[in-house]
Order: sequence, then C-alpha cells, then structure tokens
Amino acid sequence: MYNEVYKNLKVRKFYNQIYDWAKSLPENVIVKKKNEAENLFKKIGITFSVYNNFDSTERLIPFDMFPRIISSTEWKKIKRGVIQRALAVNAFLNDIYNSGEIIKAKLIPENLIYKNPAYEIKMIGFKVPKRIYSPIIGSDIVRINEKNFKVLEDNCRTPSGVSYMIENREIMMRMFPELFEKLKIETVENYPNYLLDTLKSLAPKKCNKEPKVVILTPGSLNSAYYEHSFLADLMGVELVQGNDLFVDESITYMKTTRGPEKVDIIYRRIDDKFIDPITFDSSSLIGIPGLFDSYKSGNVNICSAPGSGIADDKAIYSYIPEIIKFYLGEEPILENVKTWRCCEEDAKKYVLNNLNKLVVKEVHGSGGYGLLIGSKSSKKEIEIFRKKILANPSNYIAQPILELSSVPIFDKKKLSPRHVDLRPFCLVGADKTKLVDGGLTRVALNQGSLVVNSSQGGGVKDTWILNE
Amino acid sequence: MLSRTAENLFWSARYIERADSLARLLEVGYRISLIPNTERGYTNEWESILETSGIKNEYLKKYKTISKEKIIFFILFDLENSSSVKNCIKVARENIRMVRTAVTLEVWNAVNSSYHELDKNLKDTRNILKELPEIIEWIKKQVNLIRGTILNTQLINDGYDFLILGTYFERADFTARIINVKYFILLPSINYVGGDIDNFQWSLMLRSISSFRAFKWAYGGQEITYTKIIDFLILNMTCPRSLIFSIEKINHHLGRLSKFYKQTSTSQKKIGLMYKNIKNLSATKITDIGLHEFLKSFIEEINFVYKKFEQKYFFGSET
Repeated sequence: MYNEVYKNLKVRKFYNQIYDWAKSLPENVIVKKKNEAENLFKKIGITFSVYNNFDSTERLIPFDMFPRIISSTEWKKIKRGVIQRALAVNAFLNDIYNSGEIIKAKLIPENLIYKNPAYEIKMIGFKVPKRIYSPIIGSDIVRINEKNFKVLEDNCRTPSGVSYMIENREIMMRMFPELFEKLKIETVENYPNYLLDTLKSLAPKKCNKEPKVVILTPGSLNSAYYEHSFLADLMGVELVQGNDLFVDESITYMKTTRGPEKVDIIYRRIDDKFIDPITFDSSSLIGIPGLFDSYKSGNVNICSAPGSGIADDKAIYSYIPEIIKFYLGEEPILENVKTWRCCEEDAKKYVLNNLNKLVVKEVHGSGGYGLLIGSKSSKKEIEIFRKKILANPSNYIAQPILELSSVPIFDKKKLSPRHVDLRPFCLVGADKTKLVDGGLTRVALNQGSLVVNSSQGGGVKDTWILNE
Repeated sequence: MLSRTAENLFWSARYIERADSLARLLEVGYRISLIPNTERGYTNEWESILETSGIKNEYLKKYKTISKEKIIFFILFDLENSSSVKNCIKVARENIRMVRTAVTLEVWNAVNSSYHELDKNLKDTRNILKELPEIIEWIKKQVNLIRGTILNTQLINDGYDFLILGTYFERADFTARIINVKYFILLPSINYVGGDIDNFQWSLMLRSISSFRAFKWAYGGQEITYTKIIDFLILNMTCPRSLIFSIEKINHHLGRLSKFYKQTSTSQKKIGLMYKNIKNLSATKITDIGLHEFLKSFIEEINFVYKKFEQKYFFGSET
C-alpha cells in the first residue's frame, strides 16, 4: 500500500510540518477540534441526504482534519492532464452529435454510440452554444504509487462535491489559522467566480445583453441541495426549481415578484429526463414544458447539454486515450485504468474467469452503487454478478482492484492511514479552460475500505497544493 | 426576487411567529394549572387553548379526552399535529433552507440551531408540566434570537418586507382568534359587577398575548374594564400585539413593495382602507357594532388582503 506521507520510510518534505503538527496535537485537543469541526458543519448546514427505502435523512459528511497534500509539481501534471481530457471530451461530444468522424474512422464501435441509452437522438445536428457540451467536468483520480496518477472516471453531467472543496478549506482556516500563516497553500476560493465566468461565456445565440444565469435544482430534498444553494449564493444568481420557470413563445422566463424575467443560461443540476416533460419524460412533474424547444431555438442555453452523459459512460471511458489522440493529436497525460469491456468476447471470458480479482461496474452506475469488488465479496455475491454479466454483457466493464494511495486520518486520537482519491473540477468556457488549484479529496473511513463515496462510509479532507 | 423565494420567506416568518404565539398561549395554561382546581371549568381553559390554536378536532381525534399533559405534548412536540411548535420550527427551517441564499448566515444559523436543539429541551415526557416553563422560555428566546438576527443582519430590501409581512399576517390572525374564542367575556353583561371571575378571565386573555403588564402601564394602573381591554387589544398603537399594530405594519410593508416594484396592487389598496377605518374606531363603536361581528368581518377582510397579496407576488396571477 502506498502511503503518500512517506518516501523511503521518511516523511516527505512537504508533509514534514503537517506531520509534526499532527503528532504534537494533544489527545484532548484532537477531540475538541473534531467536535468543533462537526458543529461548524452542522451550523452552516453542510449536509447531504441519503435515500433508503423508507425515507430520506440529512447527514453530515464526516470531515477529517489531516490535510491531503499534493506538491505543485505533481499538481501541474494533473492539471494539464485534466484539461486535456476535458477538451477531448467536448470535442468528442460535438463530433458524435454531428458528423461522427471518430466512428467513420472506426476508432469506436458504432453501436457503442448510437445504441447507447445515454445517446440523445434529439441532439443530433444541433449546434450547442460555442460547441461546449460539458462545461464542468469532475475527474476522479487515484494514485497508485509515487509517480503514477490514474483517472478512474470523468463525470461530465453534474459532478458534485465542489462545495466541500471550498467549505473544507474554510473550516480548516477557521480552526488552524497558524498552519496557513506558515505554509504557502494555493487558494480555492475563486471557483465560484470562475464558474460564473465560464457559464456567462456560453450565452445562447439570441442573447445580446449581459446574460442572466440561474442554477436549476430538483429541490431541497436532493442529496446535493446544499451545494446548489451554496454555489448560487457565491455566484449571486437565482437558485430555481422547475416550477419557477416557464416558456412562452420559445423564450424561457422565471417568475419573480416583479413579474416574468428572461433567463439566458441554465446551469442545471437535474437529469436529462427531467428537463422538459414534452420532449423527454412525459410522466415527470418537475420539468419545464417547452424548455427544450427554447433551447433549440437559441433562446436559452442548458449546461451541461442534454445528451452529455454519454461521455460519462464507463465503456466510453475506456476509449478516452483514443479520443484524446484523435481530436487533439496528443498522447494522454494522465493514464486510464486498464478496463475490460464485457461486450467483447475475449474480455468477457477473462472477466468471468477472474471475478475474485476484479472490480466489476455497471456502465451507467454511479455513487459506488451497482459494483462488485471481487476480493471483498462472498462466493454468493460473485455468482450473482456472474449471472448478471452473462445476461447483459454490454452493461458491464471490469477493472483491476487498485490499491489506492493512503493518507493518515485522526482515528479516535491517533493517526492511521486510509485510502483516498481526488476530484478536481475543470471548467471549460468559450475561450478559456480553468481549474482552481485544489480539489476534493474523498477518504474511505473504514480501515482497508476502497469505497470513498459519501453514501457508503466515505469522508472528506481539505486538499492542499503546496509549493515544494 | 423569485416568487417562490418570497413565498418561502413569508411562510418561514409566519411559522416562527406561530411557534411564539403557541408558546405564549401555553404559558397561560401553565398559570391555570397552578391555581387550585377547586372550581369547575378550568378544563374549559385547556379546551379554549386548543380552540384558539385551531387544532381541537385534530387533538380529539387522537386523544379523545382533555388532559393537560397530552395537550402540552400535542401543542409542543407532536409531529402529527401539523401546527405543533416542533412542526412550526421544522417547516420554518425547511422554508428558509429552500431559500438559504435569501437570508444571512446569521438568520440561517439561528433557525437551524433552533431546530436542532428543540428536542434537547424535553427530557422526560411524563414530567412535561414541570418542564414547561423552561421549554417556553427557550422557545421565546429562540424566536427573539431569530427575529433579532432578521432585524440586525438582513438587507432592508423586498425580502425583508416578505419576512415582516409573514410575521404580521400571522399575528393579526392570532390576536383576532384569541379575542374571538373568548369574545363573550368582553360583552357588557347585565350581571356584570366587576367580579373576580371576570377579572381573572380578562387577565388570562391579556397574559395569553403577553400583555398583562403592558396593559397596566398603558392605562396607568386603572381598573380593568372590558372597554379598556377592547381598546388595548384592537386599537392601541403602542401594543405590539393589537390588531391595529399589525394592520399598520402590513400597510407599511405592502406600500414599500409597491414603491419598490413601481406597481400598485389590490392588496395594498385594501389594507390602506382597513387601516384608515380601524384608526377611526373606538371601543364603544366596536361594542355598538358587536364585537363578534366586528371580528368576523375583520378576519374576512384580512383574508381578502392575503389572497390578493398571494396572487400578485407568489402566483403572478394578478397584474
């Protein structure tokens, strides 16, 4: 297991000060600060909702005070790699909804695109504003060893967690100001400004004044609602729900106390099928009738574009290296994780023979649901997955079980290593692609666990990019 | 501002005011329970508390009999009672949470921590009567804290107007209901001899809107008479729980909205008329009209104002 703090059994130099600091904290201070952090989260209302079969409850996300540190050299490479992927993904989306060059070049099987449930036929031939389909991409990055960062997936629809990135920092600064005086830590507080600039640069064709941006949320019961309101607040834009919007003569308005007000750009945090009941899911009550028509007639922009989700598909993910080469003519800066596509006969055979050594994922699954970690599963669970794969092979991919790197947490009162991943948030605007220097570090709080999702025992850490 | 934001702000303030009113109402109940129960009819007081809070039917459906412990629990903590204090604070918080960005962090913190701490105040349901004073104190303190943060930290913009309007629509309604449930004790009666029972009933009514001492100050310690109480509860501009006070506030804030949006509204015109009329009234005139009739038409008129206000600002259906 690779522990990020050490190199040749010695503490790496940019972890030195933090390590000494953490070691020197008396037990009672650790307990006190932990409570303080929890109270701050509770007071500010940073919660997420968890759904089960009975009801939904608000929970606090567990926060660990030991920061995760990435050196500025390491970060530069991650940053370049993430930007490269974000540009490639947008070029790919633009291509497959228009002339489909990559399919003609036989680099990706036709069926994987055109028969993909995430491919939105209603988007074919439509020129989205500035050709940007997915302006906000959150790539999940894991570290295998000292040199090697790999990308696990690229979340192209509505990646969440950026509010934790910012709030974790706020809370660390409030609790341990002395650390921030001593160390030169890159700031993350510009994210909301960058996001607003990015969105504003994507104004639709028929917008000839300062564009009006809104965030569209499914509502306060959504698991990421805190984040929606947080971003609206920091960008100074309205947070709207479906019934706050209406379309008249193809123009989208929001209902205000002054009367109707035209909306130009919608940063939507709802799924495609809830956008417009006329176009997508007629049984949906939360959509805005006519919104898709307003979008296609160039009166409003929807970010991300409907149909962007296909780039999230885990089978498409396995083609990202080809996608980068095809559109950018560059070698991938960040590697993919080796992926077996069960739709291919050889791969399927290998996967079925090695289930105990692999992670099997549904191609459309997310949030750590619908996956099998072979080494941690019972025979029975493995057999259930075997049947699932045989019944519908193209719905599954498999990857080797990765030993994620670890970083210490304050476990009770002592330091103890736990596995982590990293999610930076890349913003793709009309002319600029930007990232703040930082990201969200998710940590699997259960000893030995590799699942970092907040819905399954994951917590978060502040992430510092440090000059060496 | 989004119409829904305005609506959420309005209702959160309205529910907070309701929690406050309920706590004050229970204070009266507590007082009664301290008086030796020798005379018949003190259960009537508990019944009228249920009636004033408009939940008598809901209560009887669940508990069948009048019991003070059960009533206290029902009004304070019972989630099955849609307007229990607990539900009021919960709904207020939900409303604010939906428009988190329209209030300051301090307002949100005050509402949010009230919600999280409410249960901690009830240690033992069997001993609820004993714990009541402390719980009531806490609720009043939280409400004052929330209102204080609103007054001290919110921008004085249209959002502020909607918050304040929520408070005073609720207060006008509640005070009118308190008087209406007990209006008969304020009727001139041929048997009236200024007896202890009347005095006691009147002081209860004053206490239920926390105005017992205020009344004494306002009328310089004169003898309590029913006309003075009518004057105090309905027509006295210095009493923050009188009807005229709420009407003046609603009139003021609807006026501000009209100016702010540069639009006139039916609700504003109607409340202006109500304010003008109530200013010209006197306690004797109200007695001439009939207190019950007066209250009935007052409630109808204020509901009309609310309906028009709601149509214009929340639904966008009045132009």
